[in-house]
Amino acid sequence: MGLKSIWNKLYQTLTSVKTGIFLIIVVGIFSAIGTIILQRPTSEPEDMQRAYSPETLALLDRIGLTDIFHAWWFLLLLTMFCVCLIFVSVNRWPTAWKMYSKPVRFAEPPFRAGLPQTVKIPVQDEAAALSVAERVLTRFGFTPERVTEKGATGLYSEKQRFSVFAVYIVHLSLLCIFAGYIVDGIVGYRGNIMVPEGQALGQISLRDNKGGESKKTLPFLIRCDAAGEETYADGSPKKWWSKLTLIENGQEVATKQIVVNDPFVYKGLRIYQSSMGQSSTPKTLTFLAAPTNGGEPTPVEVPLNGKATLADGESLSVLRWVPDYYVQDNEVFKKSDDAENPAVQLGLTNASGETKKLWILYSQANTTKGQDAPFDFSIKSATWAKFTGLEVSHQPGQFGVWLGVILIAIGLVIAFYTQHMRIWAAIVDDGKGGKFLWVGGTTNKNRDRFQLKFEQIKSALQAELGGQPGNQKTEEKTLTRA
Amino acid sequence: MSDARVETQQRPASGAALLVMVGLGILFALLVALLTAAKTHSGPIYGEANMLYAALVLYTGAAVLYMGYGVTGIERYVSVASFLTALGFVANTAAVAHRWSVAGRPPFSNMYEMLLSFVWTLALLTLIAERAYKVKIIGSITMPITVVSVILMQLLPSDVRPLVPALQSTWLQVHVTLAMLSYAACALSFALAMMFLIQDNMKTESFQALTSTGMVAIYASMLFTRFRSGGALAVTAYDLEGKSEVMISRGHPLFLRIPDLGWLYVLVLLSALVPLVLYIAGQVKKNSSLFDIASKGMFITLMLQAAGLAIFITRVKNGQYGAPEAEGLYATALPANPFLLAGIVGGIVAGLLYLLLLWRREGLQKMMPPADVLDQVTYKIICIAFPLLTLMIAAGAYWANQAWGSYWSWDPKETWAAITWLVYAGYLHMRVTRGWRGRRAAWFAILGFAVVIFTFFGVTYLLPGLHAYAAG
Repeated sequence: MGLKSIWNKLYQTLTSVKTGIFLIIVVGIFSAIGTIILQRPTSEPEDMQRAYSPETLALLDRIGLTDIFHAWWFLLLLTMFCVCLIFVSVNRWPTAWKMYSKPVRFAEPPFRAGLPQTVKIPVQDEAAALSVAERVLTRFGFTPERVTEKGATGLYSEKQRFSVFAVYIVHLSLLCIFAGYIVDGIVGYRGNIMVPEGQALGQISLRDNKGGESKKTLPFLIRCDAAGEETYADGSPKKWWSKLTLIENGQEVATKQIVVNDPFVYKGLRIYQSSMGQSSTPKTLTFLAAPTNGGEPTPVEVPLNGKATLADGESLSVLRWVPDYYVQDNEVFKKSDDAENPAVQLGLTNASGETKKLWILYSQANTTKGQDAPFDFSIKSATWAKFTGLEVSHQPGQFGVWLGVILIAIGLVIAFYTQHMRIWAAIVDDGKGGKFLWVGGTTNKNRDRFQLKFEQIKSALQAELGGQPGNQKTEEKTLTRA
Repeated sequence: MSDARVETQQRPASGAALLVMVGLGILFALLVALLTAAKTHSGPIYGEANMLYAALVLYTGAAVLYMGYGVTGIERYVSVASFLTALGFVANTAAVAHRWSVAGRPPFSNMYEMLLSFVWTLALLTLIAERAYKVKIIGSITMPITVVSVILMQLLPSDVRPLVPALQSTWLQVHVTLAMLSYAACALSFALAMMFLIQDNMKTESFQALTSTGMVAIYASMLFTRFRSGGALAVTAYDLEGKSEVMISRGHPLFLRIPDLGWLYVLVLLSALVPLVLYIAGQVKKNSSLFDIASKGMFITLMLQAAGLAIFITRVKNGQYGAPEAEGLYATALPANPFLLAGIVGGIVAGLLYLLLLWRREGLQKMMPPADVLDQVTYKIICIAFPLLTLMIAAGAYWANQAWGSYWSWDPKETWAAITWLVYAGYLHMRVTRGWRGRRAAWFAILGFAVVIFTFFGVTYLLPGLHAYAAG
């Protein structure tokens, strides 16, 4: 007994439009808060620390206001909104379906009395009057059908009966969109990856909701065959492009040249051109080799992972590239990845396979002079590798979202640009031996426009049948008795 | 300024006199422009610059006549004003078409182009509201806004700039077109809801409170974002030769400090706050004499705002100022701070419209359609705005999916667009299922537009975010 009344109360609340409005307001308020307070997923940690004092930030983190949109209670609010939508629609659906599937074709007296637009015109000839009504209605774009019930014949015409479904289509579309979003929340992921030219990598950095990072291995490797950047005359970027090849199980399976706004889609994964950068590791280094016992210095280009042959048959290779070096205990260490203060260790290999190691510490002196080698090397130039910044995302739920968008477009068009209009006609006894042609109509929206149309139909009927509309009040009494 | 206005009112202006003056003014301006164009070869006659100038001249004439109609009620003004608006619209369309053909894409990529599209839409909506919905007075609100916008445009860099990679997308054009159309429809519904409140006999002091609140919001936002310690106002530095903002790094413009301007705007803010406080006191103490004092206070704040505008323009144009983040002195210019300027001008326009209501309420009420018609038309305009808003959000999501890897990132601009959508969805529900009409519906429509304003301006200037393109 108690359970039933609880269920009834719950049902009443869930099917009430007021609940829906309340949920909309609450979701709106928390969404607004989520734009005013910096959110961790979309802000750099330093920005958050700069914006709020440590105590404030700790408090906000604890309450959960720094990641509202992924908080469990926000998702619960969204879910409750969906549940309310479902209940509201299911509750009202039977009425709409009945309206659609079982239209009231014959207007009984109580039904006639309740219609907003009616007119009664005295007539002599029943059959002729009905034909006139048929003709007039057809002229105004309706297609009346004859309906016979209990020996009486009347007319029924309607337009755009499907208009009653508009709201349900719109609500269904919203549920589609939310379903897609929830699916993506559960199984979807997004991350980024920087792939230097010529390399193939397969791990993306996922953005953690706590502001941290975790790695995810993709089912394939992304190889950057080439990447480039075009700029306008004023230096602003015009085009970023990368030619990518996907390698799955050791085999090249797909290739595409992508630009911003044109991602690479493969097996549900989408790869976007997000940024472009220059590596702090060179592609090739060109050295000037000056023979120590005199002679012209000659340029030698050495690819970073390869070697070059010198005039005397020895081969030169780059053993170590340190973009930003410091020396400690006679050892060279890397301070950072920024190519600010480079050092290069060269390997000079002679015919017998012995390698002599030489250092160029660029900021000290751009030469290997004094390091006891047949050549003095100095850095002439370098070509830099580009790396392409890619964003990779897997969001299978997006198809639910796009389906929902199409549905909502259809639903809104039906909701705002169609209306279910119905018009009935019948011959009615006036109780004094005479007859009236009764015409009545109703619509589910745009009542003022329908009223205008009905007035036009009324005038046309009066013109054709030449009668005066009877006094509404007295006719109503007669009507109920008939 | 106020004295001059009172005089024009008391002197009975003959309909013909104003028409002749406006007609001659337009012809003169166009003739001068034609001669200048022939002399300086500023592009073809049908080109963007000349057509926009023609549109400005015609819209100004229309605005003057619409305002005249608002003041005197002479019907002939509206028909001529409508004709001028239509002509201006044709010129405006030619300007848009020319720019589109030169740039190879519709004009939506920077502030100049957005304003160009905005004035085009506003002129179109004015004509539609007049013809389809018979709301003739709408021009007296929309046309002055159009004229002010075109003038603002003259200050902005107008050269066709090429697009950075993220903006090179058809879906962007679709999204921005839909945004423009839906926001314009929302603005129209706001104007209609305000007119409903006038026709519904809402007290003039309530309008005063509303206008004061708007002014307070504008100046409070300005000070919140631009007031600096010592009473200076931060404005963006501008490179006069390169015609662009000075940037310290990508996305971070250089701000310089104009001393004392901050204090001036604090003063203006207080002057706008006083009438609001007086209104609240009058309501609480049920003392209607406070309302009279408040409306005099509106006068004072309007004069201070006009003075503030004049001082702002002079200080911006003549001066070199220091910037804390860089050495040396820098210049600024009006185009560098379009929204600051728009806020100040907007406050003044709102104040003038309030004064128009204060002095000519009966006349205005006779010229407007009845309250229930306005209520219906507000609803119908929102029925147009809402699907457009929905599709705008959808197109934006699709573009984000193509450009940035996700259709929804809870970015502030996206989130506020969704909140706007929820508010208008709320309006429709309350109206259709709960039968809300009249005052409650009008307030809801006004709330909706306030949220639209926040989404469009507040998010860019009060909150950081991904959508930083328009600020450039």
